[in-house]
Amino acid sequence: MSIVKFDNVTKIYTSGDHELKALNKVSFTLDEGRFVVILGPSGAGKSTLLNLLGGLDSPSEGTITVNGKDISTLSDNELADYRAATVGFVFQFYNLIPTLTVYENVELVLEISENALDAKQMIEEVGLTDHLHNFPAELSGGEQQRISIARALAKNPKILLCDEPTGALDSETGVMVLKLLLSMAKNYGKTIVIVTHNQSIAKMADIVIRVKNGKIRSVEEQKNPMSADEVEW
Amino acid sequence: MLVRKLFRTAWSYKAQFISMIIMITLGMGVFLGFNMEWRTIEADTGSFFDDTAYADYRLYSEKGFTADDLKKIAAIDGVDAATRYLTVNLDIKGEKNKSLALDVSEDFNVSTFIVTDGAAYDENGDGFWLSDKFAAANDYAIGDTLTLEFQGIGITGRIVGLIKSGEHMICVADKNQLMPDYNTYGFAYISPKKLRSAVEEKVRNTAADKLKKQGIPDSAVDDSVDKLLKDGTMVDEAMDQVFAQVNVLSDMSKEDLEDTVRDALGRTIMVTSKDDHVVYKEAMGEAAEGKTMGSVLPVLFLAIAILTMVTTMHRIATKEKLQIGTLKALGFKNRRILRHYTSYGLFIGLVGTGLGVALGYWICKLVMSEDGMMGTYFDMPDWSVAIPTFCYFVIIGTVALLTLISYLSVRRQLKGTAADALRPYTPKKMRKVFLERFRFWDKMRFGTKWNIRDLSRHKSRSAMTLVGIIGCMVLMVGGLGMRDTLAGFLDLLDNDISAYTTKVNLVDNADKTQALALADEIDGDWESLTGISFEGETVALDVVHNPNGLINIINEDNEPITLSDEGVYLCLRLKDKAQIGDTIEFSPYGSSETYKAEVIGYNRSIMTESITMSDRLAEKLGIDYTLTAIYSDKTAGEIKGSDLIAGKQDKGQLMDTFDSFVQIMDSMVIILVIAAVILGIVVLYNLGLMSYVERSRELATLKVLGFRNRDIGKLLISQNIWLTVIGVIIGLPAGVGVLRWLVIALAGEYEMKLMLGWLTYSVSILLTFGVSLLVSLMVARKNKKIDMVEALKGAE
Repeated sequence: MSIVKFDNVTKIYTSGDHELKALNKVSFTLDEGRFVVILGPSGAGKSTLLNLLGGLDSPSEGTITVNGKDISTLSDNELADYRAATVGFVFQFYNLIPTLTVYENVELVLEISENALDAKQMIEEVGLTDHLHNFPAELSGGEQQRISIARALAKNPKILLCDEPTGALDSETGVMVLKLLLSMAKNYGKTIVIVTHNQSIAKMADIVIRVKNGKIRSVEEQKNPMSADEVEW
Repeated sequence: MLVRKLFRTAWSYKAQFISMIIMITLGMGVFLGFNMEWRTIEADTGSFFDDTAYADYRLYSEKGFTADDLKKIAAIDGVDAATRYLTVNLDIKGEKNKSLALDVSEDFNVSTFIVTDGAAYDENGDGFWLSDKFAAANDYAIGDTLTLEFQGIGITGRIVGLIKSGEHMICVADKNQLMPDYNTYGFAYISPKKLRSAVEEKVRNTAADKLKKQGIPDSAVDDSVDKLLKDGTMVDEAMDQVFAQVNVLSDMSKEDLEDTVRDALGRTIMVTSKDDHVVYKEAMGEAAEGKTMGSVLPVLFLAIAILTMVTTMHRIATKEKLQIGTLKALGFKNRRILRHYTSYGLFIGLVGTGLGVALGYWICKLVMSEDGMMGTYFDMPDWSVAIPTFCYFVIIGTVALLTLISYLSVRRQLKGTAADALRPYTPKKMRKVFLERFRFWDKMRFGTKWNIRDLSRHKSRSAMTLVGIIGCMVLMVGGLGMRDTLAGFLDLLDNDISAYTTKVNLVDNADKTQALALADEIDGDWESLTGISFEGETVALDVVHNPNGLINIINEDNEPITLSDEGVYLCLRLKDKAQIGDTIEFSPYGSSETYKAEVIGYNRSIMTESITMSDRLAEKLGIDYTLTAIYSDKTAGEIKGSDLIAGKQDKGQLMDTFDSFVQIMDSMVIILVIAAVILGIVVLYNLGLMSYVERSRELATLKVLGFRNRDIGKLLISQNIWLTVIGVIIGLPAGVGVLRWLVIALAGEYEMKLMLGWLTYSVSILLTFGVSLLVSLMVARKNKKIDMVEALKGAE
């Protein structure tokens, strides 16, 4: 069953007289529960794609349907509700709230999500129970990213959106984080969309969407994706 | 190139730059305005006093001074000039409720005037030199004729010149009148020759009456009188009595002058220095009041402005860290980069102080100009603005300090290598706050925790916000409270102290028996105010007879006192001179007698610094006094004219003279409240914006997670509301404290009791909350525009 559908989506950024077509008539569909990697060089339009899917931005043309709902024409508040209920984000630089402890950062989503999962349990699953009352600045990069994964999953979203989740980590930590991300997504039955320029991550994906110059070059289904341990980093 | 960068950077931080410039302008403007005001009073009144040879000392003698006395006084080593002087309040014939102080300076070298229109002074002249303000208020012009009623005869003449005089720079009929009212009271000078002819007429009339009573036939009276007056002795003697005052220019001390005059004349003479003369005293009082005001509130303003600068410059420098690193990496020397960023402070300093000087000049002019607030109080020709010397240092020092602040903020970022500078600014590590030790912490909502931790993480920003709110509150409570206090003071004067309808001022040295008879006739209470020397100071002895309760003496709590005959009451200004139960000594001027009395209480004396006693005690002690005023329930029309009466004042009329005083106070309050609101808005907006920018990444994260704009707005507003609550809790008592201090500092002039109405409290609190809420909404509105994508890109 398809959970995401992009139909002729165009995104144009204007600054002054200058127009930049970041996405040009993009169409694709994604099925529920799959691990999708969107691959492309910088400036290709992959982050724009993720932002539109995450409800951080609206398309200039075309429609985006997620979980059966057209999100391309939603108001600010409706988009906020959409983000709260449907998507979870994992960022390159973690984006934890520095003034909240590990536990509070995860617990935070209870304020907005109606069917949130237990914060403590999520932290336990990412293996950081010992750091419940630490502040983000007291953790390593990998640990912070694990908390960010716990926070994203605690909302119990349909889709997990990750923007270069290992971009700020060394390769060893990166592999560990990726493994955790995949196993947790699988356990909880989430669709994962990772945006990256790292070819190695693509080898692990069910589906690889290649983007270049604002257009989809290919959508490729991998019959036998490699595990994180098999991939050469 | 870097100059271009300066302006572009300034533009990109426009909110911060503008708010810093506004704060410096406001701080500098209020500081300079208040300080220029008192300096201008000192300078302009000082030069006016010099120009009109304002007397340093006034010598009084009931018997008057002879021409010979004057010679002896003028000959004293240390006396620069002296003149026999007359000043007396006279009614204008044919005018209702209009009177003039008529002045004569025999040797026109002391207590003179300057002519603004018409003829110069002529010692043989026959006309009046009239106050130009009185002339303008009553449509008198040069050439018009005036008649003044003087001791039963009329002094008539044409107005030959319009003038201003230092002796009447604050033109009030007596000490109880706060503000001049030129519609009813002014002053005029005549020549000694004209005075002599009036006195001669009076002597002639008196002599003729006497002769007629002795049975001399009417036809022979004139000849006999001519003979009597021929050698001029009788007129000379009468003139000696008229001149009950000698005005002196001298640098001697009061004690030395008293001693040398006593030695020269062989009798004790009452000497008062200009410090006790209502004009000089009030003018210097105004200047002192300005100094007091100038030393508190404006300094607070300037301090807040500079503190805001410190916080803001630090934030800008940290935000510019990457650019500083880039410039460094490009090969710019530290000195060049420092110079560049330091010029930000210099730029803000120069623009801010420049505008501040202009604002200060405007504020000063608002008070000190002919059309300004003091225009109705002081009657003087020159209103040029003067600036205290220390203000130049403050101006230069402020610019230097602001430059130094930006220098230090940038130097911190320049430490280390170019690579260090290129690394993004790392905010302070988060530490657990004190409240987290308690159980209830875990129960708190995330927004509360977030705000508390944010406040503790950015202590200087939070403290500055608090200072801004407290400052706003203090200014409002101070300003509005001042008004309440004044209103309370007037209410007290109108209702509690003065229950009479008409105040009858008696002529100097009115005959006591006749005066008591007059008091009886009009069912009046009366008082006698005379100068006495007490503990080396000149104060008033107020002998009061008030069985009808028309004039009341009140205690510290504003409750009426029934005067006891067992002792005296000291006014609150004299409270530290003697305790209850102490026996004090004092001696009336012009008398070698010393009296002793026990202090049995303190009273609030509205105007004069005085010692009060009942008339029975005065009799018991054997004090010789004359009545100075009778207070009656009858209207002025019901009280018949008499030689004893110098003037009649309606209480309403007296209270009306306070109106312009109230207006001045109102304008001051409006300035203060507007300043408070601007201060609040600028400080809170600047800091609110800073806090918003610093947290923009966190706010973007919340937004991405699915928080609505309104939820995030609430978070931002609630932080400001907490700070406002704390600020108000501290600011309210602080404002009352500042006000209490001001009232005490100003008590040298009036014994006011601090009064604050509930309206003041509520308006101050509501306005402060209003300002805080308005600013929070302005900042919170911005979060709609927050760019989630942009904010999430960089690393923390």
